[in-house]
Amino acid sequence: MAPRENSHEPGGTPVPVETGFATLATLRIGVKAFVEKDGEKRKAEILSMQTRRGKPTFYVHYEEFNKRLDEWISADRIDLSREVEWPAPEKPEKKKTTTNQKAQAPSKSDQRNQKKSRSKLDREVSATPEATSVNLPGKAPRPTKAGGKENKELLVTSEVTDGSTPKPDDEEMDLVDVQDAAAAAKAAPTEIYSREDEIEKLRTSGSMTQNQTEISRVRNLEKIQMGKFEIEPWYFSPYPIDFVDSEMVFICEYCLSYYGEVTQFERHRTKCTLLHPPGNEIYRDDYVSFFEIDGRRQRTWCRNLCLLSKLFLDHKTLYYDVDPFLFYCMCTRDEHGCHLVGYFSKEKESAEGYNVACILTLPQYQRKGFGKLLIAFSYELSKREGKLGSPEKPLSDLGLLGYRAYWQETIVDLLMEGKVEANIEDLGATTAMTTNDVLHTLQNLNMLRYNKNQHVIVLTDAVIEQRERQKAKEKIKGKRSIDPERLQWKPPIFSAASRTWNW
Amino acid sequence: MTQRVTGQRFRQRKLSTKQNLPVLREHEVEKLADDDAARHIPKVETGVEKGEEIEHHLQAVISASQAAASGGNVAQLYIPTPDAVASKLQYEDLYPRHFTQPATYIRFSSTVEDMVGCPYCMTSDDVIFLKSYNQKKGKTVQCSEDEFEEVMNFFEETSQTKQPFAAVDNPPVVSYEELEAEFDETISEPARRFARDIYNHWKNQRLLKGNRPLIPSLKFETNLETDDSDPYVCFRRREVRQVRKTRGRDAQVTEKLKKLRKELEEARYLMAQVKRREMVIRDQLAMDRQIFDQRTAVKEIKRKLGIKGDDEELLINQKPAPKPKPKVDVQAVQRGIPGMGPKPQLTRPDGRLLDSDLVYLEEQQAKRSEAIEGFIEENLMKHQKWNIGWVDQTWRPITPPLEQAAPKAGFRPVFTSSQLPTPPASESSEAAGDQMEADQPTKQVEPRRSARIRYATPPDDVPYQDQRRFRRRTGRGGRVMIDRRGVKRQKLDSIDERVADRFKYSGDSSEDEQVYPVDWTDNLHIRYRIMIDRQGDKQHAQAAAQNRRAIENHNRSASGYLLPPSNAG
Ligand SMILES: [Zn+2]
Repeated sequence: MAPRENSHEPGGTPVPVETGFATLATLRIGVKAFVEKDGEKRKAEILSMQTRRGKPTFYVHYEEFNKRLDEWISADRIDLSREVEWPAPEKPEKKKTTTNQKAQAPSKSDQRNQKKSRSKLDREVSATPEATSVNLPGKAPRPTKAGGKENKELLVTSEVTDGSTPKPDDEEMDLVDVQDAAAAAKAAPTEIYSREDEIEKLRTSGSMTQNQTEISRVRNLEKIQMGKFEIEPWYFSPYPIDFVDSEMVFICEYCLSYYGEVTQFERHRTKCTLLHPPGNEIYRDDYVSFFEIDGRRQRTWCRNLCLLSKLFLDHKTLYYDVDPFLFYCMCTRDEHGCHLVGYFSKEKESAEGYNVACILTLPQYQRKGFGKLLIAFSYELSKREGKLGSPEKPLSDLGLLGYRAYWQETIVDLLMEGKVEANIEDLGATTAMTTNDVLHTLQNLNMLRYNKNQHVIVLTDAVIEQRERQKAKEKIKGKRSIDPERLQWKPPIFSAASRTWNW
Repeated sequence: MTQRVTGQRFRQRKLSTKQNLPVLREHEVEKLADDDAARHIPKVETGVEKGEEIEHHLQAVISASQAAASGGNVAQLYIPTPDAVASKLQYEDLYPRHFTQPATYIRFSSTVEDMVGCPYCMTSDDVIFLKSYNQKKGKTVQCSEDEFEEVMNFFEETSQTKQPFAAVDNPPVVSYEELEAEFDETISEPARRFARDIYNHWKNQRLLKGNRPLIPSLKFETNLETDDSDPYVCFRRREVRQVRKTRGRDAQVTEKLKKLRKELEEARYLMAQVKRREMVIRDQLAMDRQIFDQRTAVKEIKRKLGIKGDDEELLINQKPAPKPKPKVDVQAVQRGIPGMGPKPQLTRPDGRLLDSDLVYLEEQQAKRSEAIEGFIEENLMKHQKWNIGWVDQTWRPITPPLEQAAPKAGFRPVFTSSQLPTPPASESSEAAGDQMEADQPTKQVEPRRSARIRYATPPDDVPYQDQRRFRRRTGRGGRVMIDRRGVKRQKLDSIDERVADRFKYSGDSSEDEQVYPVDWTDNLHIRYRIMIDRQGDKQHAQAAAQNRRAIENHNRSASGYLLPPSNAG
């Protein structure tokens, strides 16, 4: 497993790591120590320190664990019998904020943040000639229905190891090449992109990046109450700074307004008359409804939604306003009202051909198959638009798994209809998936093979078996799917002004 | 974890995404050389950030699913996430059962602000205050929670507008008097009764918060440098995105610039011309003045030398005074009017009389039309002669004679309020004066023969039986009836919107020209056409009269300069 640190990554500038024994008093932000987590010792970085009831507590991030598992721990979980890694010495003063007294980190993390944000910039920058990334001369745009950048992003690269230069080819790509491309991507020399670059990127495209100042690395809300649930937030979200002191933030299930005190929330509930997301219902079956909300017309509600979802989406950014997005909100219904279960946002006009910007099933409804419905719905919209779509990158870990599961099921189902032949672009056109996503799905499932001098698609026993098992499960639990007939929707048309920002 | 399949590299052909690939089952393909199928799965980009791609739990799930894809039997793994548990709050109390689903899909556009009532919600401190306040008050005047919130909200909003930068420059809390002065419709009468008493509580709350708003608010951009690094600053206004460049847009812009340049050049040209005109006028004035001066000098000399006689030559460049237009006989003009005196007429440089050889267009045209009319008349007579004693049984006679210039008096005039007959052209003297063109169009409209000759030839494509036939009868009391037969009515409804729409943009004409489907056999239309026809007759008569006048006037004006006013001399 490749280490995560800058210093260890190939091509990165090696930074010597200083190690040594620490005491409780010498522990500081940026120190990496071994911490007990679920019965085992894991290396963790201290992101913040606080004294609670006279005892020091530490906010730690476990290496190779997702940030959502970051937590406050008491001192006794830190193993001081082992050496710790000291943070790199302070760099010359960088601009940084002191808004939150509780969370101050050395500039080391700054540096790392920049590094972290680099990877998603890669893709953006790779289109320009001076970039030294994976896209080599062989790359050629491929016509697709959507014509977005995402749809052209098949990687074709020259083989360095062979010494021969394959001819750039518009229509073909080599399996082996793809593989090498991935390897090359991993080995690509690191470049430092400043926060300015990142903001610049935000200016011109989507919604996903990481807000990487030190404060935002520490979760700011303890707990939220919403509907019938109490939920532990996963990440930082820029709710009013006053809520840092609240034990619980109460969120109205319908208007998503937020209150730091239960009294206020209860008062709000006596006055709030909203019973569903404030937009048009565009889909209804006996299980769920979808509402379409325009960020520009429902600015308050959409801002509330974004604040809420930021609690569970690491890469979501609230840097810019909600105007250029549409929000497709999935609800279950009962006599109380329409309960928001999940949503995805979509740019009114995506230069990259993305059909989803952010996608989230609220934690209280996860692992119930709602994610798949959300994804299916997003592709149903793309089919209506006559476009191929793909979700905005970077994906989260859960996002990746959700999409992979959906892609696998969709493609395997299509192939199991008794097809004798299939071509990758047609599979994409039928499912509104990009050629790239189809190809990657097939490769991932080891379904694309080379047999008797030609490429073939293999419905492997494993894949079939998996699908059969799934179907058996569906028989018991009931299959939930999106019925295109019930979608009452035309692709909205926006004037140039309403696609962007209008105050 | 990066596996490479080096063995196969050199043999594989390129894969085309457009080409049809056979779909096979596992047993139909060659077994892979080694058992570890997972090794053959190429690494593809996941779309997850590199730093997170390597995360423990994700990798565990990915390897599990890859193992499953290669035939292993693996229990489903989940990425662990923090808990969501049932809340202790009484859901039923907070969210009453108010929702009834409409039969049709919900359409909704109200905003959160419309739906949540007063945005201020009481805190527990407020509740305590209100309770004790109401206890002190008598039972008669109790302040309700709604009224309390209304007042608090009014204070909050008013102080926000009065001190928009309270967070920055720390002003004192707004005084009650100032707030009271702002009372408006946002605070109701019943709530105002408590405003003064609530003010102190509000002020205390504000002071506790350092005079910052009591309702926690999001941090928006302040356009200060600190914004960028502050993760709490959110929902910034994004600059309008670059408009995508298209060839169409480029062309549009070019066209606009071209047009602008052309217009500017035209304006410039106009200005230059105006300048030139003014210069010419100036020169002319100077000239006139010089002439005047010299005439004065001549007069002076004449007087000195005692030369008598009229000063005619001094007035040489004076325009003849506008004279009443005499009725002039062209012939007389040409002959030279007797009694005009031997006044020398102006001649052309070659000595001929200026207008002696002028041929007037009107005359020529009149002559021509006379000839044509004569010819037709003649032929008409011939025809009638031929047909004497014959009964016409053919259905296609050669332009048979008509009953002499069928008087249409039998028809009653039809007028509609929507289309009144055009009033006769006004006979203004200017218009009649020197407008040569004016008589041209009217001439063309003259329905010279149309009234006399009937088109007996039926359209070729209609069989005789299907011919339309009309008969006019005069009934009692002079009622006129038109009978018709064989009239096939168009099916109007066959022209559906889409067909009509097809014509909408067919021409480059403007939008307001529209094609209306019309049933020409409709009574309304027949009546309308009759009306038009009669109106046309009237107009033609008028036009003819005007024509005559125009010719006369023209002659007059053309020769006007030549002729002294009739009353002169
Ligand atoms: Zn609400």
